[in-house]
Amino acid sequence: MLMKRQIPLLIVIVVGLITLFGHFIANEGVQNFVDNDSTQWYDIIASFAIFLGGLNLLKLQLLKIYKKQKNWQYSILAVVGFFFAITVGFFFRGANTISVTGINAEKVEQAAEMIAEETGESTSSILSSISDPSADYELQKIYKTHGGAEDFSQKLEAYGETQIEPIEWGAHLSATRGETGSLFNWMFVYIFTPLSATMFALLAFFVASASYRAFRIRNFEATLLLVAGIILMLGRVPIGEYIPAWLIGVFFVMGLGALLAPFIKNRKITLGIVAIGSLIFLIIGFTNGWNPAIPGFFHLPVMQEWIFQVPTTAGARAIMIGIGLGIVGTSFRIIIGIERSFLGEQ
Amino acid sequence: MNKNALIMIGIGLVVIILYLLGVGSLFREGNEPMFVAVIVVSLTILYYTNRAKRGEEIYLRPIAGLVALEEAVGRATEMGKSVLFVPGIQDMDQVETVCGLVILGYVASMTAKYEAGLNVPVARSIVMEAARETCKESYLKAGRPDQYYDDMVHYLTDDQFAYAAGVNGIMIREKPAACFYQGKFYAESLILAETGNSIGAIQIAGTGSPAQIPFFVTACDYTLIGEEFFTASAYLSKKPELLGSIKGQDIVKLIGMVLMILVFALNGFNQAGWIDFDITEFITSR
Repeated sequence: MLMKRQIPLLIVIVVGLITLFGHFIANEGVQNFVDNDSTQWYDIIASFAIFLGGLNLLKLQLLKIYKKQKNWQYSILAVVGFFFAITVGFFFRGANTISVTGINAEKVEQAAEMIAEETGESTSSILSSISDPSADYELQKIYKTHGGAEDFSQKLEAYGETQIEPIEWGAHLSATRGETGSLFNWMFVYIFTPLSATMFALLAFFVASASYRAFRIRNFEATLLLVAGIILMLGRVPIGEYIPAWLIGVFFVMGLGALLAPFIKNRKITLGIVAIGSLIFLIIGFTNGWNPAIPGFFHLPVMQEWIFQVPTTAGARAIMIGIGLGIVGTSFRIIIGIERSFLGEQ
Repeated sequence: MNKNALIMIGIGLVVIILYLLGVGSLFREGNEPMFVAVIVVSLTILYYTNRAKRGEEIYLRPIAGLVALEEAVGRATEMGKSVLFVPGIQDMDQVETVCGLVILGYVASMTAKYEAGLNVPVARSIVMEAARETCKESYLKAGRPDQYYDDMVHYLTDDQFAYAAGVNGIMIREKPAACFYQGKFYAESLILAETGNSIGAIQIAGTGSPAQIPFFVTACDYTLIGEEFFTASAYLSKKPELLGSIKGQDIVKLIGMVLMILVFALNGFNQAGWIDFDITEFITSR
């Protein structure tokens, strides 16, 4: 119990208090702990913990294959992907470069053309780099295998001295030369990035289906959301500028009439309100030469700006204040030790 | 006013006096408003925590999302399907993740009680270890340690969209009857919630990420909005000291509202020329 409850709780309380008061105490040691040391400790622990996660993932996938559970075939892909990433990250750099030096002045042009064909660079830029025979020029191409680098290196040896150098460990992860990269980089650019982008792109379709559900007119709130959404969407596109404000005013009066209708028994009164209101907006439009921006408040760009700046901001800030206080309250409960649920205590 | 409250006020005053005497040498300059705010918030919460401990009854309004937790687990049990719990995509350094694990503890105790399956895919290794400990304790306390196994909490990946893809895969293949999203979320929130919606699962979300709340509200059956999410621990445990701290938090909010009205009024009076004191300058210059 001491190791599982009291000591972790003591660490939480002490570190929490130091971090909190670190913002107010003018002491370099405390400052350094709050700003650097504590976050670095966390990063170190998290770096070691990734092994636990990786091993857990591998264990589950291997078990799935071994027991031939439902959809076990996909697990093969996961395991292959896992080992491929480990291999190109830790054991096989897949990144070799060729350097050339001492090219004979008579053969410089031929060598430049050959290199340009291989790397895709312009001949003129290569010429300027290799014309000095004492200068060491590194080709703007990464060879994923040593054999591939050797093949071209042998061809280039007819013009000058060549040397194949693997890129340093660590740097190989993101190494690029021209349009080529290391094997790890290739995996990142051609497998990982498109897959991530695909998932992100799905969001567009999910937004559409979620909007459809949210905008369905079921009650007053959903109607309000729909109207506000339409105003925002139209107000933010160029066509919104050209929709006359007096027309929006007429729609507004009609909407108001629809809202008032259930409360007014005499339909003639409702009709009168709508007719008079519409007439007022038509007169405003006529007297202003059907100017689409008058009356100002019913102009869609103005309306959308108001919705965005006033009710939306007010609502968002109310939620933000609640969240802020919630975080402060929870953090305080953790620091003073009355909240221990995160240690498994209920 | 009892002895404890007096001691707390005394400590607060001593700290404030020390602060005022030591500005520049011992205390950092320019952080005074923040410091006063921290002291006021701390003392208010402590005061109400003590009152609750002494037996004062604290009323907490019913929160539909938390009441529905048991209903969702019950539904999953009746349907013979599992429960999926997603504790967000951030690490244990986020308060939201800690709150998510607190709720996981209660969900786990219910799945243990009803003998329903629980699946917790996580995006961080430290969260995996913490979530395992939480589930283990819950199953132990529910008297069903035999039902607990480590792999009910399993690691997928640290990457945001790869994690979303992994969780979506689990949803599509296993079709859980209840999906809980409790923690810190970003753009993957809608991807997860819409997939959950498409499989007909009952969904309860809770997050402190303001930008994700509308997505969850749209796609989930219940959403713990903002502070509701942070009260979950107190609400579910019914511990007096935790309930007291929630009341203290509400009092702080009330103080904040009064201050806002005061600032609004003083600013209005200044602009009308009735008083010669610019409150906005006073606040912003500190």
